[in-house]
Amino acid sequence: MAKSSKELFKEFKIQSVSEFFRRNAAMLGYTGKIRSLTTVVHEAVTNSLDACEEAGIPPYVRVEIEELGRQHYKVIIEDNGPGIPEKFITHVFGKMLAGTKAHRNIQSRGQQGLGISGAVMFAQITSGKATRVITSTGGDIIEAWVKIDVEKNEGKILRKQKKPNPTGWRGTRVELEVKGVRYVRSKQGVFWYLKLSAIANPHAHIELIEPDGKLITFPRSSDDVPKPPVEMKPHPRGVLTDDIYRMARKTRKNTVKRFLISEFSRISDRKIDELVKYMAAIRLIKTEEDRNVQEQLYERLMKGEVDKVLKSFRGYRKVIKQVGKIMEKPPGKLDWHEAEEIVEAFRYMKFLAPPTHGLRPIGEENIEKGLTGILKPEFVTAVTRAPKVYRGGIPFQVEVGLAYGGELSSGFEILRYANRVPLLFDAGSCVTTTAARSIDWKRYKVDDIERAPLTLMINVISVHVPYTSTGKQSIANEEEILNEIRLAIMDAARRLQTYLSGKHRKLHQVKRRRTFEKYLPEIARSLSVLTGEREEVIESHFRRLVEERFSETEAEADA
Amino acid sequence: MPKSKAIKKSRPRERFSYDPKKVLARLEQLGREILEAVREGRNPYFDIPTRGLNNVYFDEKRKVIRMGDKLSRRYFLNVAHTRKFMQTLLISAYVKRLVSEGKHASLREAYYANKHTIPGTKENTFEDQRESDPIIEDLERMLGVLREEMHLTADRRGYIYGDIVIRDGEDEFNTSKLGMGGWAVPGTVEHLHFIEVNVDYALVVETAAMADRLIEEKFPKKENALIIATQGQASRGVRRLIHRLHYEEGLPIIVFTDGDPYGWYIYSTIKQGSINLAYLSEKLATPEARFVGMTMDDIERYSLKNVTEKLKGVPPNKKGGPTGDYKRIMEEMNYPWFQNKEWQRQLQMAIKMGVRIEQQALANKSLEFVARRYLPEKINSGDLLP
Repeated sequence: MAKSSKELFKEFKIQSVSEFFRRNAAMLGYTGKIRSLTTVVHEAVTNSLDACEEAGIPPYVRVEIEELGRQHYKVIIEDNGPGIPEKFITHVFGKMLAGTKAHRNIQSRGQQGLGISGAVMFAQITSGKATRVITSTGGDIIEAWVKIDVEKNEGKILRKQKKPNPTGWRGTRVELEVKGVRYVRSKQGVFWYLKLSAIANPHAHIELIEPDGKLITFPRSSDDVPKPPVEMKPHPRGVLTDDIYRMARKTRKNTVKRFLISEFSRISDRKIDELVKYMAAIRLIKTEEDRNVQEQLYERLMKGEVDKVLKSFRGYRKVIKQVGKIMEKPPGKLDWHEAEEIVEAFRYMKFLAPPTHGLRPIGEENIEKGLTGILKPEFVTAVTRAPKVYRGGIPFQVEVGLAYGGELSSGFEILRYANRVPLLFDAGSCVTTTAARSIDWKRYKVDDIERAPLTLMINVISVHVPYTSTGKQSIANEEEILNEIRLAIMDAARRLQTYLSGKHRKLHQVKRRRTFEKYLPEIARSLSVLTGEREEVIESHFRRLVEERFSETEAEADA
Repeated sequence: MPKSKAIKKSRPRERFSYDPKKVLARLEQLGREILEAVREGRNPYFDIPTRGLNNVYFDEKRKVIRMGDKLSRRYFLNVAHTRKFMQTLLISAYVKRLVSEGKHASLREAYYANKHTIPGTKENTFEDQRESDPIIEDLERMLGVLREEMHLTADRRGYIYGDIVIRDGEDEFNTSKLGMGGWAVPGTVEHLHFIEVNVDYALVVETAAMADRLIEEKFPKKENALIIATQGQASRGVRRLIHRLHYEEGLPIIVFTDGDPYGWYIYSTIKQGSINLAYLSEKLATPEARFVGMTMDDIERYSLKNVTEKLKGVPPNKKGGPTGDYKRIMEEMNYPWFQNKEWQRQLQMAIKMGVRIEQQALANKSLEFVARRYLPEKINSGDLLP
């Protein structure tokens, strides 16, 4: 498991912040010329969408990429959000890890890196230029040039000015100047990123002005702004040593016991007693020298026979007492080793499944709207599965949207998302790709999946998405997640199948109708010879007959 | 005067009946009915008497194979019917033009004249003559008129020789004065007028070689007979001619074929009509025709045993039988019109003896034998099979 950015940050504090930045570029999303530009846009757009959501405003986001020179661009992102109060500007744009969501147990878009301050940093180290921020909460318009003071890890406003705001404009505009990046209309680029974002955020209106001046609009297709996700207490099964160590230092509770009860879900007084027993048992098992005996004891512990395991050791009561003392310590004094012991014990204990109320799926209706609005398919359907748990304690939820035909070009396309954020890289190793490829599409009337005009959108939501690598661009192959995705796809595919069979039926109707119509001129001419009636008159009679017949059968088919 | 009382002319029972106006009227009526249905918003259809064995029966009273009253409806608004519906109308219109212009066309011409690509498709109105021929047959059954009456002619086959005067359009001729080859029977005989009939009966002969033999032996003149050579199975034209000569001119019809299942079948079609053309039996069949030979008795009587040939196939009493000729004979024994003592006896004998006898085997006696002795003897004594 990769260390959190904060942990890393601590280790590198002695070095300059920019050095840290460069060293961890991959993890922060700033590798490659195309991807770096996409990350800059991503950080800004994410901030805009989050801010709008929290304020309940339907977002309007405009992204403009201006080419200033070779691999030299100005990126402008403007939104209609609530705006940033003057005194928070340095905080928002300047301080690394200042983001309001860092290390909160919350489903967030911003799992990517350092947030907008990272983008400011990137602009600063590539072009040397400060980031221009124009914002208003409805009052005066504030224009500020922001840089990061790498010594103090603080934002620094180089220049600031206030302007009157006669039109009552509200929102934020950020202008970043970046070098060493490239704008390409590829599937890793800004265009594709925004297109995918628009699909997952149908409540947002997103515009892009490309370097050549071309305006691309992804219009809003839904009016309801999603509720912001709520923070959930972490579930014991989902925590890492680092989480406990860090949280223990932040908590206001007086003892480790009270800290664990209040800051984690599904932990009660009785669970603490159980925890002490398990921790003591693990300590004792570790003293056992015979490997085989050790194995057996762990197995019994897994089965919940903690009391029997304890009784097999002499003086086990003493150990329980020692461990019990940890629970009475002030949390600030909890050391790394003790935190490790707690996490290990959690792994053998049984807990209720975590609460899932904090997960915020896009919703079937909104996925359908998003796909319809952006891709204009002839058929669309979406499936939002009920929340599930993986690795025994981490809640997650899967959503799948399926669009078929219409303006879609042929070719199977998988749009991957984690917490609504488009994943553009490492598609091959992603669980979503594995799941989509494992489906036998022929069973759902899609004969040639590679050439079908089919787009599949998969969104995996979790407070902790298991990424395969630090790049956070592909989701790990967790069995529970794979199964959920498969079930969701199959559900959607079944609806597609129903639609396609209906379509085949309709096609058949059209064909049938054509069978009759094509003979009309021949029939009319012949009957005209036989009866002396005019051809056009005869043909119109026959045409009316066909018309009537098919309006009947179509009505039947629709019923 | 007839040399024998066995062969008597009967009184005419039918009259020259060809009238192009009748055909035109039927076609126009058909068109009007279709148009009327469409105007009223009904799905138009044709009622076509069903083809095939299950819609055929033997009319005991009139002694002909007749078509039953089973109809199949051909609808416009039916995916399986609509193409044939269109084709039926196409041919109808074509026939109307042919008849009103007084032109004749062969089946092949009718096919080509109506074959064209349907606009906006890659489909032809007719892909094959096998598509247009059945439509023409359907029309015959539907309207109750002969193909010949619709000016569509089949391949011609067969000729006649004898002292009768025929008017064909502007030509008038005596068929005994056209040379040894006689007069070839055209595909359509509807429009022929029989001006003079100076013969006592018509002798229908299976093979051209035998007909030529008889003509060379001056049999028609001596016996006052009309020779009709069918050249195998009788064509529609020949059958219609036989029918007309019998019913319009009262001419007795005597059939002379090989003594084998094929020859007897030729006789049976002339007499009772065929299953394929059951709907035309009333116009094509001549139930009063009689059969002179070859019979199985002839072998004995004229000691022809050494010129017989073995029947092909396995006899019914042998393992795997009956097959081939035997099977054919067994089938004929079951025909309603062969349900009489004489024919049953002949067919039984054929199976028992396992031989067949050709007309031309009579040449074994002498070339003149058939004309001088065999035929006159049998016909004048009335030694004929029913």
